[in-house]
Amino acid sequence: MADRKAELEAKKAKLQAIREEKERRRKEKALKDAEEAAQRTMHPDKVQDLDEMLSSLGVAPVSDVLSSLSSISPKTTDQNSTPDASLQSNATSTASRPKAPQLSVVNVQTTSILPKEVVTYSKPTQTDPASHERDAAHAFGYYDEYNLNPGLEWEDEFTVLTYDEAEDEENSLGPHLDGFHSKLPPGILPHGLPQVKDVQPAVTSLETEEKKEKEKKPPRDLSEEEKMTIILSPDFQKFMDRAGRIVERALSESVDIYMDYAGLLDSEDRGEEKAKKMLSPVRTFVDERWTKNQLVTSMDWSPQFPELMVASYYRNVDSTHDPDGVCLVWNTKFKKQTPEYVFHCQSAVLSATFARFHPSLIFGGTYSGQVVLWDNRVQKRSPVQRTPLSAAAHTHPVYCLSVIGTQNAHNLISISTDGKVCSWSLDMLSQPQESLVLMNNKMSKPVTVLCHDFLYNDINNFVLGCEEGTTYSTCRHGTKAGHTEAYEGHQAPVTGIDTHKVQGNIDFSNLFITSSFDWTVKLWNLKENKPIHSFEDNGDYVMDVKWSPIHPALFASVDTDGRVDLWNINTDTEVPTASTCVEGNPALNRVSWKPSGTHVCVGDAQGKISVFEVNEKLAQPKHDEFSKLRHTLQELKHNKHDEDLDKFSSHNTSSGPSSLTSLISR
Amino acid sequence: MSNEVEETMKQIQNHKGVVGLVVVNAEGIPIKTTLDNTTTVQYAGLISQLSEKVRSVVRDLDPTNDLTFLRIRSKKHEIMVAPDKEFMLIVIQNPTE
Repeated sequence: MADRKAELEAKKAKLQAIREEKERRRKEKALKDAEEAAQRTMHPDKVQDLDEMLSSLGVAPVSDVLSSLSSISPKTTDQNSTPDASLQSNATSTASRPKAPQLSVVNVQTTSILPKEVVTYSKPTQTDPASHERDAAHAFGYYDEYNLNPGLEWEDEFTVLTYDEAEDEENSLGPHLDGFHSKLPPGILPHGLPQVKDVQPAVTSLETEEKKEKEKKPPRDLSEEEKMTIILSPDFQKFMDRAGRIVERALSESVDIYMDYAGLLDSEDRGEEKAKKMLSPVRTFVDERWTKNQLVTSMDWSPQFPELMVASYYRNVDSTHDPDGVCLVWNTKFKKQTPEYVFHCQSAVLSATFARFHPSLIFGGTYSGQVVLWDNRVQKRSPVQRTPLSAAAHTHPVYCLSVIGTQNAHNLISISTDGKVCSWSLDMLSQPQESLVLMNNKMSKPVTVLCHDFLYNDINNFVLGCEEGTTYSTCRHGTKAGHTEAYEGHQAPVTGIDTHKVQGNIDFSNLFITSSFDWTVKLWNLKENKPIHSFEDNGDYVMDVKWSPIHPALFASVDTDGRVDLWNINTDTEVPTASTCVEGNPALNRVSWKPSGTHVCVGDAQGKISVFEVNEKLAQPKHDEFSKLRHTLQELKHNKHDEDLDKFSSHNTSSGPSSLTSLISR
Repeated sequence: MSNEVEETMKQIQNHKGVVGLVVVNAEGIPIKTTLDNTTTVQYAGLISQLSEKVRSVVRDLDPTNDLTFLRIRSKKHEIMVAPDKEFMLIVIQNPTE
């Protein structure tokens, strides 16, 4: 302070001297002016010159004075401002002198603040473990500062910073918005880092929110048109398709992860009750828009994704704007109520099948005779390919469709009701690779095929169910290609046919079963043209029949009375082992086993597919099932023989009602 | 094509317990909604911020990773978020119903 006073004194003296000088010049000037005036009256010309000279002389000292003044003023302001800064005033008086250079050092430090620097903090030595949160926060700042200015004593800095920071918080309340970023380099100098650390969260959250508000407000008024363009953009469509699927699955997951098992006995009781039932309804697949009042015409399971089932529907109500044929892919794994995929085409779909070796392709046989191909990889519900409607291909309804062969060599086989069999390469649907017409040998007229099935692991031989009630077996290749062998027995159209496919120690692949409008289900052997047995428990058209995929002696049949029957011919051949009715007794049209053999799906005429769980006791084969089946078949044959002999003696005919067989076998 | 979007939305909306759904774009601006305006804006703003944060967390943990789905279970609701590059589907459901 003494120094400063001395300095001030010196300056005052200097000023005094300047003032005196000024005064002196002013007097001189006045004197000269008087002289000039006197001279002007004498020699006006010379006076002008003198005036100029004098003025030039007069100006020079004045400017000198001014410049000297201005050179002083910065010094004074400098001195005045330093005490203003809280730093200086609060700092110890002894440190006031060296503080000035210190400022400039800090300046450098602020410019070099990098967010990465913060990472180096975490040394436990930096903070007292006992210090409270606030101090800890400051410590981050010091650390940086300390690092950059190793010369500084950090305890000292600490105190300085806390004071500053308190001030800054007050300041920041007002102009924090612009102050934070724009004034960063100069404003942050003395207090810099602590402010960044401590105040930042509050400021940024406020700021960002406000920014968000600002950003949002103008675009929130997205006009309807703009919204529509977004909605119509393919990106959006794709997104909705994907996201919708995921969300639906997530939504339908009914697993309660907060399940508390303490004291919940009701559900267990229910579970036991369920276990007693042989056939218990699990769920239904129905869609208000796509399947209502539509006949389920076929069902097929994806070999790659066993939970996926494709079902085709026949629209029998007149609605002009909706497509006639619908094909839906249902998912049995996720409990969502909507189909996984929706496909349609202009003609009613009578049969649908997965393209066995191509998980994303689905074939459909239509009423018009076209075979159509859908692909679930494209965002399109209409077929991606279709066969031509020409004499080379089908011109009659295609009820039969199957993909046969191996991964490397497979074909699509389609059969229409005019007896035409076409074989297609999956790559080229523009024309069939080969085609033949199935002829009835006796009457030499084409057979009207309603259903077909290939023998197990056979791409050549297959069996057919026909409208006139006859069942045929035929082959695609060889000398007898297209020639049929008749199996007489049914009195009415054959609606369903299925070959035995379960493999075991005894081969039963010659067996097949048929269902018919004559209220019966018949069991056949390929080598005999008479049925082995006739199952006559139904009181209505039997629409479909299917062997279990895992149990050799188990099959399911459905009738138009809404009845689902499960027959285990090893236990009983007269009455079904298990039987249940679909709620509301709708006319059932199709039955299909889940590939695992644990569930049976039935499709009805109202567009509903009901899934039933088959009791494990019934569904799972026992180890001796194959030998038992052989025994059963022998017994049936024996009974048949006896019955035939009886009939022969009494009626002299052999084509009597097969119902007698069953009576005798009892 | 827009009717397919509508259909999807309807399907989800018809699910048992679904309170509402909002589709927002990358900036958090609602494009489609079944909720009232204020709720929509609230959900759109907050959830998009949250999912952005979650995504950055996932990516920071493993740069080759990305966020695909986000479920928030609360006492009253469950919020499901299906984020994508450009859009985000938010579904609010009442799981107890």
